Amino acid sequence: MTQRRSYAVGTGLFIVLGFAALAYLATQTTSVANSRQGDSYTVETHFANVGQLKARAPVKIAGVRVGSVQAIDLVPGKEEAKVTLSIDKAHEDIPDDSVATIFTSGLLGDQYVGIQFGQSKKTLAEGGTIGFTRPAQQLEEMIGKFFGGGSAADRLGGTYKVTGHFTNVGSLQTGAAVKMSGVPIGSVDSVVIQPGHLDAFVTLAIDKNYSQIPDDSAAAVFTSGLIGSQYVAIQPGGSPEYLKDGDEMVLTQSALQLEDLIGKFLVNGSPSDNKNGAGNSGGQPDASSGKK
Amino acid sequence: MNARMDRGGVVTQSLAQIGACGLFLLTLLAAVPRSFRYFRETLRQIWFVGAMSLTIVMTCGLFVGMVLGLQLYDVLSIFGGTSATGTVVAIAIYRELGPVVTALLFAGRAGTSITAEIGLMRATDQLDAMEMMAVDPIAYVAAPRFLAGVVALPLLGVVFCAMGVFGGHLVGVTWLGIDNGTFWSNMTATVDVHKDIINGVLLKSIAFGIVVSLIAVYQGYTTPPTSEGVAYATTRTVVASSIAILALDFVLTSFLI
Repeated sequence: MTQRRSYAVGTGLFIVLGFAALAYLATQTTSVANSRQGDSYTVETHFANVGQLKARAPVKIAGVRVGSVQAIDLVPGKEEAKVTLSIDKAHEDIPDDSVATIFTSGLLGDQYVGIQFGQSKKTLAEGGTIGFTRPAQQLEEMIGKFFGGGSAADRLGGTYKVTGHFTNVGSLQTGAAVKMSGVPIGSVDSVVIQPGHLDAFVTLAIDKNYSQIPDDSAAAVFTSGLIGSQYVAIQPGGSPEYLKDGDEMVLTQSALQLEDLIGKFLVNGSPSDNKNGAGNSGGQPDASSGKK
Repeated sequence: MNARMDRGGVVTQSLAQIGACGLFLLTLLAAVPRSFRYFRETLRQIWFVGAMSLTIVMTCGLFVGMVLGLQLYDVLSIFGGTSATGTVVAIAIYRELGPVVTALLFAGRAGTSITAEIGLMRATDQLDAMEMMAVDPIAYVAAPRFLAGVVALPLLGVVFCAMGVFGGHLVGVTWLGIDNGTFWSNMTATVDVHKDIINGVLLKSIAFGIVVSLIAVYQGYTTPPTSEGVAYATTRTVVASSIAILALDFVLTSFLI
């Protein structure tokens, strides 16, 4: 009889253990379990866009986890997200003018809230608000900046036009950006071949704000990144005279064709300088050296 | 019993086996109400096939979770996606590894002993003796073991899953340094109670429990009454259970997914 009872107790324990495990799985690993934490205080923030931020995502200061995201709601009537942060009591000394930013860990990683300290002497308290926020960076926006960011430079001050001859413009298109030191200063107005010429005639529309470009500057067709779109880069020269409307840029550098580059690499070992005057249109020393 | 004696081709014999097994299931189900009289016996069997299997199931669950955590971290770190480790560990264990590995372990640990026990009862004429004493052997011997298996396997499967997630957490968070909150928040954001726990762990485990217990009891009950016959029946239990589990897993998954 006692043996039977021990079976009964053991079996009961086994069944209870099984159901306890089931309850654990169902409540703790699936449904967004209520974030029961130790001592913490909540702080409210408002973001224009939370991206992929999820409840229970970490809140970090200088990369160290100090709390978690408690809730994400929409502010009623506004296109704005209210994010409630739950921060450990141990970190009570956060200045109240700190900046909350939504970061992404790695390129594909998860998003978290980073807090950067401000200068204020006052600290955040329970129920406080972090006023300064920076929304999540949307990948689309970043890619947009990357590829086409400067193509439409604001033509607030009007533009002036300069021209240049290129032996090869690659896939440069009308509307592509013109950049100096990486900053967009204008756009490509037209890409044509003039009657009687063998090279491309490119007209650049440059913002009048950037009128002090030396007239011996060089124009080169560059590619943003490996697969990015092409743009015209202005490399400033040293002349005291500035480019004026209708001027021609004498020094040009054609687009580098990937095939030519590889050819050069294989034949010569290193790419050669292919700057050439725009005047000797038929010469094309760069192209012929590439085909050797 | 008779089906086994038939000298047909392999196909005919297999079909006869499956048919006899199906008929045996009906007999078994019909005997279940009568077996409630022997509730104590059912409880003892749950203890034997369930509680006694806890050690192996928990150990294996822990290691399966740990190795999953390790492998996933290694692969996901190529893509910078190690924060998804918890999610993938949980989903892989809930949907597939938990029910399947538990059922395979159960077939090896409990199914064989059920077959061997009933087979020996058959070989030593205990079953016939029971019938002579007006004790229905199906209700007293077969049904309680079948029921115990059906009850115990889902419970074991759930425990396996819990240990697996714990193992994944141990490796991922404690050793490899994935953020604890990210680990859980990703998991809770993706894992669904209905799709992963109920359909994944519970439903599959119950189906496997029925199949494994049926095969074990059937093989034992129809053992040729020789020591060689018992040995063969035990082997067949493991082989047939494993094949049935994996094949049924595919069928169930294609229905549930």
